[in-house]
Amino acid sequence: MNESLDNYLPVLLQILIAAGFAVATLIASALLGKRARRNEMKDSAYECGMLPIGEGQSRFSVKFYLVAMLFVLFDIEVVFLVPWAVVFKEAVASGATQFFYGMLGFVGVLFLAYLYALNKGALNWKES
Amino acid sequence: MPAYYLEIIVVLLGLAVLTFDAVGRVEDKRSLAGLGVLGLIVVFFLLFKTSKPADPGSVFWKFYATDALAFFFKGIAILTTIVVLLMANDFIPVLQRFGPPVEAKAHPQSGFAEFVALPLFLCAGLMWMASANHLVSIFVSLELVTVTFYVLVAYLRRHELSLEAGVKYLILGALSTGLLVYGLAWLYGATGALDLSGIEGALATTENPLPALFALAFILAAMAFKVGALPTAFWIPDVYQGAPTPVTALLAVGSKSAGFIVLMRLMTPFLKSELLSGKVVAVLAIMAVATLLYGNFAALLQSNVKRLLGYSSISHAGFLVLALASAPSHGGALETPATTVAFYLASYAITALLAFLVLSIVSAARHGDDLNSFRGLAKASPFLALLMLLSMASMAGVPLTIGFWGKFFVFQQAVFSRLWLPLGVAVIGAAAGFYYYFRLIFSMYLETATGADGNPLGKDTLTKIGAGSRIAMILLALAIIGFGFFPGSILALLR
Amino acid sequence: MNQGIEPYLLVSGILFAIGFAGVVLRRNIIVIFMCLEMMLSAANLTLVAFSRHYATPLSTPDYQAHVLLFFIITVAAAEVAVGLAIIVALFRTRRSIDSDSVSALKF
Repeated sequence: MNESLDNYLPVLLQILIAAGFAVATLIASALLGKRARRNEMKDSAYECGMLPIGEGQSRFSVKFYLVAMLFVLFDIEVVFLVPWAVVFKEAVASGATQFFYGMLGFVGVLFLAYLYALNKGALNWKES
Repeated sequence: MPAYYLEIIVVLLGLAVLTFDAVGRVEDKRSLAGLGVLGLIVVFFLLFKTSKPADPGSVFWKFYATDALAFFFKGIAILTTIVVLLMANDFIPVLQRFGPPVEAKAHPQSGFAEFVALPLFLCAGLMWMASANHLVSIFVSLELVTVTFYVLVAYLRRHELSLEAGVKYLILGALSTGLLVYGLAWLYGATGALDLSGIEGALATTENPLPALFALAFILAAMAFKVGALPTAFWIPDVYQGAPTPVTALLAVGSKSAGFIVLMRLMTPFLKSELLSGKVVAVLAIMAVATLLYGNFAALLQSNVKRLLGYSSISHAGFLVLALASAPSHGGALETPATTVAFYLASYAITALLAFLVLSIVSAARHGDDLNSFRGLAKASPFLALLMLLSMASMAGVPLTIGFWGKFFVFQQAVFSRLWLPLGVAVIGAAAGFYYYFRLIFSMYLETATGADGNPLGKDTLTKIGAGSRIAMILLALAIIGFGFFPGSILALLR
Repeated sequence: MNQGIEPYLLVSGILFAIGFAGVVLRRNIIVIFMCLEMMLSAANLTLVAFSRHYATPLSTPDYQAHVLLFFIITVAAAEVAVGLAIIVALFRTRRSIDSDSVSALKF
């Protein structure tokens, strides 16, 4: 076996433990619990609580979707920021001074986009 | 000034339009389109002022080509966008009816600034595509164009057809992106390089052609989507019909021309490799034949002018693929294949833009874009009818129009590379083209239109043409005739 | 340690095929869209596998391919944002995201 794969051993262990715990709980509850007889009385809501009506999937406001979309768009910039940050020191040391301003331009465009979203009221939570 | 400043200027122009709209209180938003047009005219002249790269060896120029071809296509992209912005100005009433929902207190023209800024971003993408020389820059510029088109095609959010066209374009466009990316990944796998010169070197010495051919299949299918050639051209009629007319013009001219230069650059390494070129030519020839047959014969049945222009755009793509297929063995032809393709695209750009300008005015005035809207146009507006006549003649390839020379050079290429079967199909296709283009002319001059109430449609609604579009139409018409007499002046730009 | 590139290519090929089949066969536009994203992921996996295959003498992977991969991820995000917006707009007018309902434009 080689060394580099050994590094992943903890990850594998964690996955096994997580999956094992879930399976073990299910098995345990099936073994230890009494066989439930299902009838209409038993499935109905008990004393208090909501009556099960309507669709199983609850609708949620499209506002969430807009915010989530903006989040994804502004979040993904990190994909470029991280490699840039990793090589930043080396690049500047080797004399590439435009390295900094390139990223400044990129972030600047994103900032303008943010202002645009703000101005259009995409981040307004209350209205409409 | 380095060439890539041009793209940066165009992007800044788009951002400026958005910022002015958001921050300043612009009363008449048509001035935003005016700003865009003026800026693009300046950029067009700056095109001739660019300097050669000072350090051609540096990494950046692996991503960015600065040959004559690149500048030629940048010019096409800029001029197309100018015309489209002028069209957008006359399109405001339709936007108000079907565009994004407007709240009561908002500006009545709200939503127009984006309709100006998005074509500007798209123009920057098209310009970058013209120079893209590396798989990364090809992919990014192509996607900038495609994603912007998703928004633009579905821009009339309250219009059923536009929305539906948007969804179709979205699904098929994303599918072609997937195919392209997988193809590019395999091209990298087959060659170990991402810049096209490196790929060319690796393909020239390769011994196992299979991975490269596997990649080629995906890339061709994806690029055929962008240029509207056949395995993946079926979206064109639907999307052309449903999209807002200025966007259709941009889609027909901009997307096709930039797509073809990328296709050309991607095919060059394959065509130069001895092991692969024969197979690639065969595939391209089959594509050309299928595209020509589909485009021309489906166009015969159309009664909607926008769909007709869609099928005609497919058939033009067929001619262009044929020119591409005749690339390696051009032998005694006067022009190189790249020049032929570039010339054909320039001629198509001029001709199609004129057609779409007339179409957008007529369809806005008569609330429809089927053949009936064009009946009796010669009586209602002799000016528009004459322009449409010129444009259709050039599309069909009547001698002494620019369209004739485009087809002439393609046929010449095909003859010299002995592609007899595709050539025969192309000749039949051109003949079929005469039928459906002249049917439109026939309707304009010899029939009378009847409105919904049964009365002939009058001329009253056709007189409102913006000054900008009027100038653009006259210039384009002059270009069709002028370059029809002197095609050499375009060819000179390519040397 | 190198067990070759083939398993990775096989997995990515299967992923791509599943995505493609989903696009062609499924009727729900959201599911179609998810399948499209899967095709992009398949391409990403291919790229990473090949970049390992073309490792430099210092046995670092060929980072050029990683650059393309980053751009693919970003573009995929942009595509999803725009695409979902269009699908939401479609749903608002049609009350349906079945791709068979998108059929007003016909030959």
